Amino acid sequence: MSGPENSISSSSPLELLSQILDCRWANIEEARQRSLPILKRLSETIESVPGPDSDTSVVVDGSVARHECTKGSDLDWMLLVDAQANADHQEILLGIRNALSAKETSGKQTLFSELGLKEPGPEGTFGTLAFSQPLTHYIGGENDSNSNTTRRVLLLLEGLPIGKRREAFDRVRKNILKRYLIEDKGLLHRGIDGESRWVPLFLLNDFARYWRTMAVDFSYKQFNRGGKGYALRSIKLGTSRKLLFASGLLACFWCDPAVSHTENREPKTQSLIDCLEVFLSNTPLERFALFFRSNLQIAPSTFLEDCARELFGSYDDFLCLLNDEQKRDHLEKLDPGSQDTSEIFAEARKIRHRFRLAIQEVFTGSESPIREHSIAKGIF
Amino acid sequence: MVLIGFSTGAVARGDFEPALALLGATSMTAVELSALRFGELPGLISALPHLDLRQYSYVSIHAPSSFPEANEENVVGLLESVAANQPIILHPDAIFDFGIWQGLGSRVAIENMDRRKEVGRSAEELSYFFEKLPEARLCLDLAHAHQVDRTMTEAYRILKTFGDRVCQLHVSELDSTGHHHPLSFGTMRAFAEIASMIPPEAAIILESLNPLSGANPQSQINWIEQEARRACVSLGRSDRSSEFAAVTAPFGLMNRAVTA
Repeated sequence: MSGPENSISSSSPLELLSQILDCRWANIEEARQRSLPILKRLSETIESVPGPDSDTSVVVDGSVARHECTKGSDLDWMLLVDAQANADHQEILLGIRNALSAKETSGKQTLFSELGLKEPGPEGTFGTLAFSQPLTHYIGGENDSNSNTTRRVLLLLEGLPIGKRREAFDRVRKNILKRYLIEDKGLLHRGIDGESRWVPLFLLNDFARYWRTMAVDFSYKQFNRGGKGYALRSIKLGTSRKLLFASGLLACFWCDPAVSHTENREPKTQSLIDCLEVFLSNTPLERFALFFRSNLQIAPSTFLEDCARELFGSYDDFLCLLNDEQKRDHLEKLDPGSQDTSEIFAEARKIRHRFRLAIQEVFTGSESPIREHSIAKGIF
Repeated sequence: MVLIGFSTGAVARGDFEPALALLGATSMTAVELSALRFGELPGLISALPHLDLRQYSYVSIHAPSSFPEANEENVVGLLESVAANQPIILHPDAIFDFGIWQGLGSRVAIENMDRRKEVGRSAEELSYFFEKLPEARLCLDLAHAHQVDRTMTEAYRILKTFGDRVCQLHVSELDSTGHHHPLSFGTMRAFAEIASMIPPEAAIILESLNPLSGANPQSQINWIEQEARRACVSLGRSDRSSEFAAVTAPFGLMNRAVTA
């Protein structure tokens, strides 16, 4: 299984869609161009650390993994372990931490500062070991902690293995997907309407649960951090976080051959794992680009073209705003009480609003090819 | 008739003659003559004309899994004397020079590898070898595929991409360190998930390591027959499945999971 490509090629889903629509999203492109060398540099650093083998993978999450890196992005990473218990894994973790935090001999910068990245957040979810057993076995129930859910869902929706050892990541991702599929007893069975159900509802419900968890945690962080960083988090929740969830919803719908326009898909668990793994190997934006492109190649649709322009256009504006250090800094420091008087926050809200409407149209617009799925599976 | 049998190396490690003696007293219809170690090949090749293999409708030879580069031509030269209808099972990582192997054409069957190897584990990695050896067939090692990916999605991808090349299966249980064991129910259930995609004419060669090696011959024969029935059941080869109840009766509920 190949990961996202390390250079823009003419076959990139975004590039192909932009050709169909005859438009260009400069900030999305710029963020991608900024992300790829960072990923390369991180990979080189990981490869210089002794230890990672076929039992472990270093997995990056967040904007870097999504190819949406802007100035001041975080670097969320974890050492994923899929192996017999072995105390050496802690040594490997420390080796990676040291390599990322060590100051260059020639200068006084750490790799984080050299690449313009922030270290993992204070929750302790990232920058640490993550074991395959709880990720695979604890889905729902009391043992499925906030951290476990976050790691698992982000591993599926944006996780990107770096360095040469990606086998553990591939294994764990497939195993997690299989858990969702085999526990979904109605999947691939005929319903009362006589139609086979291809959309994995257990998986969809967990994506939806995680989306709502992010929304609730937004308020939790606001409470816990006394409003610090509120405005920026609020804008991100309605854009990048929403995109992540929506792309997961789309992945579930993509399992239906009628949505992905796939002929001869076998009604087997493995064919769905295959479909999901390939689709999820794209970034969230690329997933939407694939969706639009596959539909537009079959039949022209002004509705879908408008949806695509608005979705990618508003997201492009969001990345532009995030990449403006002055505006980002303003949003990061904006007091919740001052939001109504902030022009920058007003601008950000407009972008967020446009993005929300675009997402709504894609899923529930009258001409949307996934409208019925969205209502029947996504809402009720 | 189901083509099913054992690798001689699994029945009696490193010694094909006692293995064949034991297998000769069973109902096996297929056999793989193993020369997994380089030093075993000359002896096997020279013995081939004299072996009584009449009970077998399918015979294959397992080429050494590794050999010095300087000996590659010698290895291929020895294998050229193998009968044309006997596939030569080859580990892809053993190859140094594809050109030397090309002359064997469709007699070569590339085997997919386990986790310990860096190549030949997935459909994507195998495609490189089939580009180099376009006539080669495939020995699908289900244990390797299961060890690489417990969900059997990689096996599914291999079958979807190269299913028409499969001439033989390797069947066993493989632990995380690469050791072969008799089939467990979890493994049988995993194999059953993709069994419908396997060409029915592909021979089943068991690599389950004989746990009774050295015990009295009848016990070993009974174990061989039982393990073969379990493989048939998990792969849906029905003419031996009728005996499944006898094999699995002690395991109660787990039977239903396999047969569901």
